[in-house]
Amino acid sequence: MQKEVALDVVLSCLRNAMEQFGNGQEGAVGTDTVIVGQSAVLDSIGLVSLIVDIEQRLEADHGIAVTLASEKAMSQRSSPFRTCGVLAEHVCSIIAEEQTA
Amino acid sequence: MIASWLFERLKSYRDETAIVFRDGETSYARLLELTLTWHAELARHELGAGSVVLVEGGFSPQAVSLLLALVERAAVAVPLTPASRVHRPDYEAISEAAATIVFDDADRFTVVRHERTVRNALTQKLVLRRSPGLVIFSSGSTGKPKAVLHDFGALLAKFERRGAKKRTLSFLLFDHIGGIDTLFNTLANGGTLVTVPNRDPDVVCTAVEKHRVHTLPTSPTFLNLLMISDAWRHHDLSSLELIAYGTEPMPASLLGRLREAFPKTTLLQTYGMSELGVLRTRSKDNDSLWIRFSNEGFETKIVDGTLWVRAPTAMLGYLNAPDLLDADGWLDTEDAVEVDGEYLKILGRATDLVNVGGQKVYPAEVENILLEMTNVRDAAVYGEPNPLLGKVLAARVNLIEPEPLEDFKKRLRAFCRTRLPNYKIPARIELTDREQFGDRLKKLRPRTNAPGGRER
Repeated sequence: MQKEVALDVVLSCLRNAMEQFGNGQEGAVGTDTVIVGQSAVLDSIGLVSLIVDIEQRLEADHGIAVTLASEKAMSQRSSPFRTCGVLAEHVCSIIAEEQTA
Repeated sequence: MIASWLFERLKSYRDETAIVFRDGETSYARLLELTLTWHAELARHELGAGSVVLVEGGFSPQAVSLLLALVERAAVAVPLTPASRVHRPDYEAISEAAATIVFDDADRFTVVRHERTVRNALTQKLVLRRSPGLVIFSSGSTGKPKAVLHDFGALLAKFERRGAKKRTLSFLLFDHIGGIDTLFNTLANGGTLVTVPNRDPDVVCTAVEKHRVHTLPTSPTFLNLLMISDAWRHHDLSSLELIAYGTEPMPASLLGRLREAFPKTTLLQTYGMSELGVLRTRSKDNDSLWIRFSNEGFETKIVDGTLWVRAPTAMLGYLNAPDLLDADGWLDTEDAVEVDGEYLKILGRATDLVNVGGQKVYPAEVENILLEMTNVRDAAVYGEPNPLLGKVLAARVNLIEPEPLEDFKKRLRAFCRTRLPNYKIPARIELTDREQFGDRLKKLRPRTNAPGGRER
């Protein structure tokens, strides 16, 4: 999957998640929007819901079934969920991994 | 003689109707005639005191009179419904059945004799007492059915105290402790058991109207179907005096709708468990989820928020699992409760509790909120393993009218935000067309204890 496509999915789901779980702060989201840690736009429940939503969207719209939040992903030194851009890359690499597996 | 008071009473009811089966009426006198015939049939097969007999059928005149004969002979009855037929070989082996008697749709039967003797120490103990037995298979929360052995005489003893004579619908099944309780409660008081071929809301309402049924013992899942089906609007259900519901927590929203639909009917939560029998309770009032145990012949206590019961109607034990009763005879129901003075509210099974990042959630609480949403017909909430939070909540929802998943998710979360803290809002939301209850009309929540065990 191309990174632009993945980023579109991530941003679209993030907008929904902020609307549904956010603390009311609106505003533009982009590649650098921080998803986890300090200054994150979502709490942990919001983050988990976002990840599930992205997985569901990938399956529904692109026919790709993947698990984004695995123990392996959690144990990476720098979180694959840091920002929208990093998450989009994570989506692409997980898809590539599953396809070659 | 075993339970002689019961048979004396049945005799006294003579020509009154005991059972309505396929719209045909069977009197008490006829039922007792059939029971006599069964004694001869059982004797012919050398099935007497202490013989274990598996009975596959329903509340037909023949099957009910067989149950009566088994009680009178101090035999051990193992009721089974045709829907559970696949389990029959297992159940025969676990209960050490000496015979299986199967009824067909026309109430004809076949008897199959088995070469088995009772070796289970628990059953042997019962046989030595010369008490009749009852084995109920409990589905349990872990999947493997457990065989619950009861002293049938002790279970029946509570009906010796006279109650009101009622026409009661046999909603709960033949192999369910609630079904057996309904049957004997009705017969012991000279009432009429109205049977139904299936439990479709329209079929149930038709039977209530036609036979002027007073009492409907049922489950919240069925009552939800009933309210959604609208069947209740198209039938005259004014004869209903009592709707009793047990087996699972009642959603507050559903109770409210029932209250409006049946303003003159008493709504009563009962408390039954295969291991305990059915215990008498009183609801605080008609639209209250708070109940009080009558504690007539049984005791209750709360330990760490969980209900414990000690009752003479409690099982003797499991035939195929470690004993659950403690040394003093108390049984941990595993039902989490909230207490307010002498009243308590059932929150749900402690085993259903989901720990979301350290915060505890009872699925029933979230399901109740989802059921208040428009266009939601049914909802099952369960915990799903998650590497971030340990568990997160997942909701599988049946809609009334089709709606795109993305739109529904938005609506669900907006609805929940004003009613629940974030950790109780489902992270995974799925729509399904499959019904989420079993043939007992009791909610089936997906079980996802093993990591990655999510159903797709």
